[in-house]
Parts: sequence; structure tokens; C-alpha cells
Amino acid sequence: MNPPNSQLDDMRRAIREADPRLSRFDPLPRIICLDDFDRGMCGWTQLVGNYEHSLDAMLPGYAQHSHAMLSTLPNWDFGSHGGVDGSYALKIATRPKKGAQNVAIKRLTFRKAGPIRIETYFTFKPEATELELSETDIRSFGFLYDLQVGDSHGTGGERVMPHLRFLNAENGVHLQKWQFKRKTTPIKPIGTAGKTITHYHLSPEDWEDLPGGAQRLCYNEIPTKVNWHYLRFDFDLATMQATGFQANDRVFDMGAYEPIRMPAMRNLWCMLNIGFFAETDTDKRAFAYLDSVCLSGDF
Amino acid sequence: MLPENLTAIVARNEVWTGDSATEPYECGWAREAIVFVRALKAPRGALPKARIEISADGMHWAAEGSQFDLPATENAVTFQRLGHFGNFVRVAASLPEGSEITLLVAWHLKA
Repeated sequence: MNPPNSQLDDMRRAIREADPRLSRFDPLPRIICLDDFDRGMCGWTQLVGNYEHSLDAMLPGYAQHSHAMLSTLPNWDFGSHGGVDGSYALKIATRPKKGAQNVAIKRLTFRKAGPIRIETYFTFKPEATELELSETDIRSFGFLYDLQVGDSHGTGGERVMPHLRFLNAENGVHLQKWQFKRKTTPIKPIGTAGKTITHYHLSPEDWEDLPGGAQRLCYNEIPTKVNWHYLRFDFDLATMQATGFQANDRVFDMGAYEPIRMPAMRNLWCMLNIGFFAETDTDKRAFAYLDSVCLSGDF
Repeated sequence: MLPENLTAIVARNEVWTGDSATEPYECGWAREAIVFVRALKAPRGALPKARIEISADGMHWAAEGSQFDLPATENAVTFQRLGHFGNFVRVAASLPEGSEITLLVAWHLKA
């Protein structure tokens, strides 16, 4: 961390708390990006899988992905829901098939291997195709980073992929707990040039319960109403360890949390990718929505 | 700030047979749209016209009235322009038995 400078911190905090766009976030000293989807897509795009020569080489888990949308959360019974403080949110929609997933991603690099913080206001709901509560139709909403050390790191450098999901339900059972994963699928070469590989880090296997991670989120009373939730995840790029996690009023112990780790890859130096994903538990589309995202760092 | 301008790939390497459609795309913010359809492989059999469908909720669809050719050969591109379309759009087609096309579908949307 930077040495404390209380006068500067106090001034920074006063300025931010006077700004309605920032006052609902608790960013670290430097804001890397403040993505309010009332301003557009803000650099969030579709996670496409790797391929060479033919799209047929793409793993099915990635082939199912499609582009996120700018949504007013429109509903058949009362119309547009809107965001926390504007008309639009980023919408991540799965296909209507049990187990289907979709991911929205933002691709950056970092300029200092230090603490970073991601904050978002999010919600999720199933497509309201039935006049039922449908509270177990969403399997999960989640978040991931895809990180790699800088090229001057030396031997032993890693690509690190912290994952965190709210497992809402599985096979119709309402579970409502936060999970992480430390394993991905085996690395698979793609094509013939020897330059590209793939693996499916969002495979349904190998999720582990975060100790103490049970949480009942506000879901509301019909499948067209949503309430926005706050999420904060802290990670240290120097140690490549999670340092904090909060969802709404709950702060969770991350002592047992581990990210996926693998040897550094030859072209991903200083990578800082951020992803959010949705997963459906029924043959119904799952919708995850981000009102806004704030990524900040201590540098 | 410049108005929003977005290219969204909504079908990539999807094989269409029978009654097929792209996933619903919500884009009520856009004043105009153009959809490009490219055949990634040589299509098989007779190809029907594709049609634009619109929806208020992404679940209940109505034909917008626009129809256009599906691309007849590998890497051929067809397109349809669209204005005043509300909130959800999709491309749909009903392929006769034995016909098949592998598609890349891109919406280009402007506020």
C-alpha cells in the first residue's frame, strides 16, 4: 500500500462523497475505470473462446456466448425497470438451456502490481416466461479476474484467475451461497501453429463453498421485480491473493479463498481482465445485470 | 460524447435448420440498425428468406415485415436495414427439411 497521507485521503474522500456518481463506491486512491452503463458499453464485450483456422475449434462453453446488451430491464407486465440512478444497465443473458452460461468481459493491463478493488451494483433474474416466483431458475451469478504477472517477474510467475460465484440454486434446490474455484479444465492445444491453447475455467465442476459464505439475497416476489445489490472484491496483484469480499451488508472471511493458478503464458504479461457471468439452472434464459462497475487501485 | 455505436455478434458458427432464430437482442437505445448475415460454410439445400422480428418483451414476437435473402455461398454476406423497431430484435428463418446454413450474424446499432 502507499504510505498513508491523511490530508490527501480526507480531501479525496470529501470530493468523492460530494459526487453522486462516486459516493456509493468506496474506491482505492486511483480509479482505473468507473463504468456507468448509462454512458454506453464502457469497454465491456463478449468473451469469445480461442480458435485457429476454424471457429469449430472453439470449446462449446465459449461458443454459446453472445454479446451483452444495454438494457432498461423491460418487463412484459409493467415495462422498464431501469437502473440504480439511470435508465440503463449492462445485461448478460444466457441461452434458454439448463446449464447455459454467458460472460461479459473487459480487457485491461495493470501498471502496478498492488492492491485493486472491484465494486459493482448488480442483480439477476430469470426470463419471466412463467407466472411463478422462479427463484430457483438462476443457477449462479459470478465474477472473475484473469491476471498475469508482468514480464520482469522472473521464474515462477503465474497466470491467476480468481473466481467467485453466488450459487443461487442447483437442480431446483435453493442454495444461496458464495463459492470459489481453484481448478480449471486441462489445457488443450488449439490448431497447428503451437501458439494457442484453451481451457474452460467456467466448467460446472470444482466449485468449492466459501466458508461462512451462505447469504440470502433480496429476490423480491415475482420474476419481473429486481433489487440491486452491492459487491466489493479486493485482490492484491503483488501477492496474487484475495484480501476482502463484501456483498451488501456482509463481509466475508477470505482466509480459505484460492484462485485458479497456472504457469505464466508467453503473451499475457500484466493482464488484468474482468468478467461477470450468469448461469441458468433451467431451460429458461438467466439475466445478470450490472448497473455500474468501479475498478480502483492503490498506485 | 459521440452517440453509442455498437457491433454485436449474436450468432457465431450457429447451424440453422428448420425454424431458427437469433437470440433476442435488446437495443431500444438504438435509432437505426443493420444486420449482416454471413455464411461460414457452403449452405445446403434451398434457402428461404430471412425475416426481421420485433418484440416488446423478448418473449412474444411479431414479424416486422422486412425479409431478405440468406447468403447462398460460403462467405457471402446479406443484410437488412431497420429503423423504428422498439426494444428487442431478432433474425428468424424457416428452413425446409434438408436445408442447412452455418451463420455469423452481426447487428450494427447506432443511437
